[in-house]
Amino acid sequence: MTKPKVSSDWMCGCAGCHMSLLDMDERILKVLELVELRATPITDMKEPDESGVDVGILEGGINNTASEEVAHRMRNRSKILVALGDCAVFGGVPAMRNFCGAQAALQLAYVDADSNEPGSQIPNDPELATMTKTRAVHEVVPVDFNVPGCPPEADVIFYVLAELAQGRKPELKDELLHWH
Amino acid sequence: MVQITINEKQIEVPEGTTVLGAAKMAGIHIPTLCAHKELSSFGGCRLCIVEVKGFRVPMASCTLPASNGMVVETNTEAIKKSREFILSMLFSERNHFCPFCQVSGGDCELQNAAYHEEMTHWPIQPGWSDFTVDTSHPYFILDNNRCILCRRCVRACAELAGNFTLALAERGTASMVVADTNVPLGESTCIKCGSCVQVCPTGALIDRNSAYQGHVKDMDEIKSVCVGCSVGCSTRIMVRNNRIVRIEGDWEGAVNHGVLCERGRYDAVTETRKRITTPQIRKNGKLEPVSWDEALGIVADKFRPLASNKNGVAALASTRLSAESLNVFKELFADKFQSDMVTSLEEGVPTASVTSFAGKNGAFEGKLDVLRNADTVMCIGANVNHSHMVVGFLFKRNLPKGTRLINISPEPNELDYLANITLNPKPKSDLALIKGLQAIIVKEGLGRSPLTISNADALIKQAVKATGASLEDLTRTAQMLAHSISPVILFGKGITAQRDENLVEELHRLAVLVGAVDGERFGLLSVKGESNSLAATLLGLDAAFNLNGHQAVYVALGDDYASKSLVERVSKAPYLVVQASYESSLTEKADVILPVSIWAEQEGHYMNLDGRTQKAEKALTPPENVRDNLTVLSEVAQQMNLKMETNWQKAVLERKSSVALN
Repeated sequence: MTKPKVSSDWMCGCAGCHMSLLDMDERILKVLELVELRATPITDMKEPDESGVDVGILEGGINNTASEEVAHRMRNRSKILVALGDCAVFGGVPAMRNFCGAQAALQLAYVDADSNEPGSQIPNDPELATMTKTRAVHEVVPVDFNVPGCPPEADVIFYVLAELAQGRKPELKDELLHWH
Repeated sequence: MVQITINEKQIEVPEGTTVLGAAKMAGIHIPTLCAHKELSSFGGCRLCIVEVKGFRVPMASCTLPASNGMVVETNTEAIKKSREFILSMLFSERNHFCPFCQVSGGDCELQNAAYHEEMTHWPIQPGWSDFTVDTSHPYFILDNNRCILCRRCVRACAELAGNFTLALAERGTASMVVADTNVPLGESTCIKCGSCVQVCPTGALIDRNSAYQGHVKDMDEIKSVCVGCSVGCSTRIMVRNNRIVRIEGDWEGAVNHGVLCERGRYDAVTETRKRITTPQIRKNGKLEPVSWDEALGIVADKFRPLASNKNGVAALASTRLSAESLNVFKELFADKFQSDMVTSLEEGVPTASVTSFAGKNGAFEGKLDVLRNADTVMCIGANVNHSHMVVGFLFKRNLPKGTRLINISPEPNELDYLANITLNPKPKSDLALIKGLQAIIVKEGLGRSPLTISNADALIKQAVKATGASLEDLTRTAQMLAHSISPVILFGKGITAQRDENLVEELHRLAVLVGAVDGERFGLLSVKGESNSLAATLLGLDAAFNLNGHQAVYVALGDDYASKSLVERVSKAPYLVVQASYESSLTEKADVILPVSIWAEQEGHYMNLDGRTQKAEKALTPPENVRDNLTVLSEVAQQMNLKMETNWQKAVLERKSSVALN
């Protein structure tokens, strides 16, 4: 039997969920016994296989046209899509800018904040992705499993990966269910 | 009784029980958010929905009365789905992003409810509307973005504190918790009792002092009794790393049922006085740190020749000390030293006249509970919205139900805005006022006792003249009292400070006349002073303090404050020993300072204003070189080879109490 292929990517997050994945220490070797790790931000491949993977994992919310592309690509190439962490599940901390709007957030970050040099400008390179409202992954593409947590604990990620690798549905409850 | 079936379990419950209440009795858990056991049922959050056989739609169990033959299901698939939907709607309404909320991770009832339903995400995303955050209050922050509109805070403010500051403004999704007419909380009529914060199920009301300092699971909870005043509220002291993080009211508390006041909740966490951590003695005019042995030895050497001398050592103790400590203090200085000046810092101001009246009459005061059912409360010389706030809560909360309030005080005070009648009589006119009220009632034939007054007109005239109040106001007051079914007369320092037993007697006569005191009912009580006012007066520690050739003064101050007048009076003494927790203008003048633990670092018993004896528990370990009050008093005795023999429980029975003890 071939091992299930797993790929991951990150969008509008802080990389903390991937850090938490690494936090499972030696158990990562067990995971590697069960799955074949393909493109991830911590491996060399840039994109999930065009031929598709069994499990796609997304960290972070969707806040611009570039992350929309990442989300659609991962959805299209994965049998099972996992939203990992509070930003992917709810929108998380980056979604706080939705309360004021992207333009006001940019203005504060690049111009109005005291830490900016006088005369600073909002970056306007035409190659930059266009900002959108920050959304949870399930607002953009269908998600099969939501794994909340900021970040989800290594135990939770290990449990989810181990269950999926062995063809079972992970059920998050009690000690494994945390939104914080 | 009604028969009801919940989840196939048949139980019998008293009529009027809600389905939620019945389920609780049957040990069946129904998730709730807006429901609270000390608040009226509201039915706002709908989380407690259940299926009732024969009903078209799910019903909120918190407002649905159980009726005979009702068949209820609490956990069907449809109900579970609806609960998840209800929670989704709550989450979608405002900013309920958990990671940076201080109650997230165990202390949030909303988050816990979602975990209970095993929700991994919100099916409906928020609407991204921004609500106001009010940071104007010294003790807490109101963040409407975290609010789920359960109105627990609004109900607590009205139904527990009786203060009616919080309300809901606007409608629907724009609804907001506001203070008064939408003024900043810090400028509102809020009396800072913090009851709203204690009941808030989310992070909408944030306690400034304990925010982000850990969750309940990280803290030790010590159930104790507040020693802030004579009410004796039950508390839960939340401690982490030998530090009080916050204090909450104990919902099981016999006196307060969960509420506290500003003093009880916040004084300990906002304390800024500097601790004394080592014994000190004055050498060449300067206070210098010494060992306990040296300090106690010096005190003993100084006191030895002064024992058995009525003007040897004058002694004062704080009424915040435990009954155990006050008893040893009294035995040491009054019995063994036979000093004629052994009293408390309160000098019996709040208690001497009531105890002396009780000496002839026996117990004449009622219990606090009598206030809960009072239809009229006459508050005379007692600003309970300030000095004994929780006493005020007990009747203020009933004002919307028709309880009337008569507030009598020489100066306008914080109760005036709630009072039906406010009288501001001239100072020292109380006796004339009370006799005048009696005379009006007797003259109008409204009295319920056989009291006759021959010179009623003269007394009424005298009352008008002495108090400066109009005859009309006095008549209204008298009539309101006399027409009541269950009146209560509450009095405080304004009356007792006059040290006039006659005044208490006339007040008692008035209480009997209007039926406040009648057979088994005792609708007359005094609020007294600090936490052990009653124990102190029963131990005889209630004389006015006077130095009369005394050679030394011993002040067992504990963690109390030393008033300016006290410092002035005792600093005239040739030698001053102070047993204190904090540096003060009194310790500056001391010849010997003995550092002692604060209330939370020692255990002991307290007798509250209505005669209830309760134990305050030790919640903290004192600093290394600090000893508790009882130990220090015992060690002073020991140094002088005096054996302390009396038992405080017996000692407090030597005088008749103004209130039945229990």
